[in-house]
Amino acid sequence: MHKTPQVNEVNEFIEIASDFEDPLEVIREALSNSYDAGATQVDIKIEQDAEGRNTLIIKDDGHGMDEDDLSSFFDLGNSNKDDAIGYKGHGTKIYYKSDKIRVETVTDGTRIESVMDQPWAKLNDRELPTYSIEETESDEPSRTRIEVHGFRAGQGFDPRKLTYNKIEHYIKWKTIGGSTAWHFGDDFHEMDINVELSPTIDDTQDQIETDNRLQFPPENRDPEGEFVAEEMCKHYPPRELTVTLDDSRELTIEVVGMVGGKEARNKLPTYGKHSAQFGIWLAKDHIKVERYNDAIGADNEFFHFFFIANCQDLELSANREKIRNKSGDVYQSITDELNRYMTKVCQDSWYRNYIERRKLENKQRSIQSQGSSLEERLQHTKDQGGLSPSNPAEVIAALERYSANGSPETLEIADFRLDEEVNAIVDTDEGYKNAALQVKLSDFFENETPLTHIDRFICWKLGDLDALTKIERSSYLGKPIRFDFSNNEVTYGDENKKTIPVLELADKV
Amino acid sequence: MASFDVVAEAGEARRGQLQINDRTLETPHLFPVINFYGGGNEGALFGGGVHRTIKEFLAHDNEVTGGEDYSDLFNGVMTSISSLADYGIREKKLEWYLDNEIREWDCFSDYDGMIFADSGGYKILKQGGLEGEDFEKDIDQDKALDIQLDLGPDIVVNLDHPIHPDDEFEERIEKMEQTAANAARFAERRDEVNGACYLTVHGYYEAMLERSFDLIEDELAEPIPEAFDGIALGSLVPRKDNVEVLVEAVSDCKREMQQRGYDDLPLHVLGISGNAMPLLVAVGADTFDSASYLHQAINGKYCVNLFETVPIDEANFDDCECRICNDDFHRARMRNEMDDLYQKDILGSVAAHNLAVQQRELRKFRQLIAEADKERVAEYLEEAVKDQKGFRKFAYQLINERINPYFEETDTTYA
Repeated sequence: MHKTPQVNEVNEFIEIASDFEDPLEVIREALSNSYDAGATQVDIKIEQDAEGRNTLIIKDDGHGMDEDDLSSFFDLGNSNKDDAIGYKGHGTKIYYKSDKIRVETVTDGTRIESVMDQPWAKLNDRELPTYSIEETESDEPSRTRIEVHGFRAGQGFDPRKLTYNKIEHYIKWKTIGGSTAWHFGDDFHEMDINVELSPTIDDTQDQIETDNRLQFPPENRDPEGEFVAEEMCKHYPPRELTVTLDDSRELTIEVVGMVGGKEARNKLPTYGKHSAQFGIWLAKDHIKVERYNDAIGADNEFFHFFFIANCQDLELSANREKIRNKSGDVYQSITDELNRYMTKVCQDSWYRNYIERRKLENKQRSIQSQGSSLEERLQHTKDQGGLSPSNPAEVIAALERYSANGSPETLEIADFRLDEEVNAIVDTDEGYKNAALQVKLSDFFENETPLTHIDRFICWKLGDLDALTKIERSSYLGKPIRFDFSNNEVTYGDENKKTIPVLELADKV
Repeated sequence: MASFDVVAEAGEARRGQLQINDRTLETPHLFPVINFYGGGNEGALFGGGVHRTIKEFLAHDNEVTGGEDYSDLFNGVMTSISSLADYGIREKKLEWYLDNEIREWDCFSDYDGMIFADSGGYKILKQGGLEGEDFEKDIDQDKALDIQLDLGPDIVVNLDHPIHPDDEFEERIEKMEQTAANAARFAERRDEVNGACYLTVHGYYEAMLERSFDLIEDELAEPIPEAFDGIALGSLVPRKDNVEVLVEAVSDCKREMQQRGYDDLPLHVLGISGNAMPLLVAVGADTFDSASYLHQAINGKYCVNLFETVPIDEANFDDCECRICNDDFHRARMRNEMDDLYQKDILGSVAAHNLAVQQRELRKFRQLIAEADKERVAEYLEEAVKDQKGFRKFAYQLINERINPYFEETDTTYA
């Protein structure tokens, strides 16, 4: 004997409708459906009546629905789509969490009005809701209007928590409104999106008017100025990467993105924690799903990057929040190829220059704070009248002072702090000077310590002259440097050149 | 007597012909290291173990080769005077070895490849000379060259004093000065060499290499290209796993040679092979030498490609295109399926395969350079390293900066 497994339809509807946690997902579904209907304009309105009930009205100028399409709209697991969003036929079931669904649609000279009353209440009463259909002839152009009255979703759909700002960023971040498809041509068509909240929800601004293109902040590859790394931004153009699987199947990954500093990134829409949204995103239907920051390797910080890698062979969970086929070879091949691509980005000369510039500017910033700390140290040193040893290195320095007796100039260690970048203050004929005290001068430069506050170098010996020549040729912290050992000095900088005397003790003691 | 002609270039990579007397070698080329004297007698090809098997390959011993001619694996080989005493021989035997040039012994009389005789500076300086059971010989430049010449080489190189990454500056300078003095003495005797003379230089970046060249030029009585036929870059073995350092050293050495007008000389990279080779060819290296094919085999490792080895019993010979793996005789040997096999018989075939894999890559590279298309070179490099996570960033950087930028300026405008 064979038995057919049974489905409890009511429970399934409840389950699927409840699967959508974020009330904003209703907007995602609406935009995707309108886009798939070929719409060039979609208007979403969210209203709230005096009793606090919410009504969503979604209007588009797409190709409309015939009776079959309408069945798919209301049925579960019966979609007309093959692999695009909504192919499971789950999305529109979010509307079941309402008091009434009314659909008005025009297609091919036929206007259909369909109403479903109390879907959520009936489902909770273990009753499958029904919908009416009323067809009339019409000479209107095709369109669809969906009204969802008394809508509730997730933790409770509370429009008062919605703001234009939140919705706009959500659209750009999580829906087809933030699509990268336009970079790749193919089937893309432009769609204008309007969202209007009733003034009781948010009256701070006019309605949202946007489209279905994710735009990166403008490029700013080589800005001028002292602290500019944060403004730097480069676009990495759309690329189609192809991967062949072991079974000869070919996958296409469409990647586009940007690298940029904080100021540039701040021009991007924000949904959730701003810093947590950068990195490398895997996408389907050109809508971002999950981040895969491993693609940039441990050497690089994810927040410089905003890349979207779309692959239609990714499979998503019913609510589109997660990638479902992570254990398979498709996912592995996609991520492998993405790793290779991102390695290329990370080896791009511009990116390396950007990182270098950022590092230099951070150093320059630290110099500014170092300045005030040194002033405090000098004051402290003057107050106590010289060195009071507190560690062995300071004793060595004091001995050095002793050794230096009889030298042509007075040079006494007034203060020494082992771990500071400028580790000594010396008392000279010309007053107090900030000094770097090193065993080998070349070691100092290995650490890339800024020279801004250094007035003197005191070293036992010069160290690796080849290493110093290497630095001289490639510049030091972005500026020219010269080591002139015949005159015992280091000159640093371009316009405001600074000359720092070097005292090599090995020859003198 | 010796000439080097560049026949094609792709970016900085070049394909050349090294002509020494009547022998020609296509570059880029890998000189496999051969120990011609392994403590044995002529009948045993002066040795035992895998070293002997390799020499049997080189000398066309049908029992080892299975009747096939594998001489193309040994078109040019590297040997070193320090290897003479590797097996603790007595002085009498050393003299006997040196009585005849390598090709004068019956067993090697058919060998027609090039012999590159290294001074073995690193080993000799570490041991303080050449040391056998009953002798200790201090080796200086003259003695080193005497022994090198006794081998009947096609290429000889001066006795060098390799530097080490941890050397203090003064120590490094001292070694460079000694190498320069040796080079000068070596140059004085160049008329005794019936082949090519190579000059060793040392350094990890431009400033060091500049110093190395300067010190040598100061010692020499004539310009480098008049005294030497090639440059050998040394001291890289301690940094062999740091491909970034290797690429910088080779490309800086090339730049230094260009600036001094020695660019026509071939550049040999001492002691390096394997996965770094394609990148070093891409920045202008012409020849390499290495014993890694042999050491891998001795350790039971079978090369899948330049990057990966597997234990020999896990090797899939069907996946390999090399002649060794497509020869049933060697497959049976490598699988230990024949009677009376010794380890050396199994591992000798593995070593030949490992060498074939490395040389196959260089052959591919030669073909690509012949097309003079740097984009193809970039594609080849990219494909070669695509699954090598740690390595590929250096390769991609090199491609990006030196061969074919991934993100050209014109490429970044949106559709």
